[in-house]
Amino acid sequence: MKQYRFEDMETGMTERFVVTVGKEQQEAFYLLTGDSNPLHRDVDFARERGFEDRVVYGMLASAYYSTLAGVYLPGSNCLINECKVAYHQPVYPGDVLTVEGVVKDVRESTRRVKIEGKMTRADGTVVNTAVIAVSFTG
Amino acid sequence: MSREEILDRVNKVFREVFDDEDVAVTFASTAADVEGWDSLRHITLIEAVEDEFDIRFKINEVTGMKDVGEMVDIIAERI
Repeated sequence: MKQYRFEDMETGMTERFVVTVGKEQQEAFYLLTGDSNPLHRDVDFARERGFEDRVVYGMLASAYYSTLAGVYLPGSNCLINECKVAYHQPVYPGDVLTVEGVVKDVRESTRRVKIEGKMTRADGTVVNTAVIAVSFTG
Repeated sequence: MSREEILDRVNKVFREVFDDEDVAVTFASTAADVEGWDSLRHITLIEAVEDEFDIRFKINEVTGMKDVGEMVDIIAERI
């Protein structure tokens, strides 16, 4: 786990990691949230609506921005203040996603950092993007 | 730029940050006068005001402003 402090932060700093969003995560998210929408649970329902497969919950995919900030950039010293996510393409169970964050703003006056995040499939398709504001706890 | 002109632009920032066209602050306004102006929103406001006027506040100013008028005075010094 990274342990960057505010003083370490510079614009352009980049971290990334790879995750596979599988059926287990999909089921765990359902159990946690109770979101029973069949678009996420019923293949036939999803295909009838023009999707290749069940659609991974958007908020499950974007939950990896928590990991991006909390583990990689800046890591253990941060607290997420804001996270604005835009969803561009569906994610399907089994997709391998690269989660990347780039520091775009280091604000001395408020001791906050803004990180631009994106998740990309192996074929280069950007499935969602985010702006994450973090403060520092240590 | 006059204090009134700065206040007009500060009000524009407040309306954007609070996503509320009805928000209107005066020189005497404080966090207690505006619903939702909590500590986290204050930080967002400060950053938005900095971007609007292309200035930077000092850390002690961020935590020490007693009202909007004081914010306007600091902006007037920097632009």
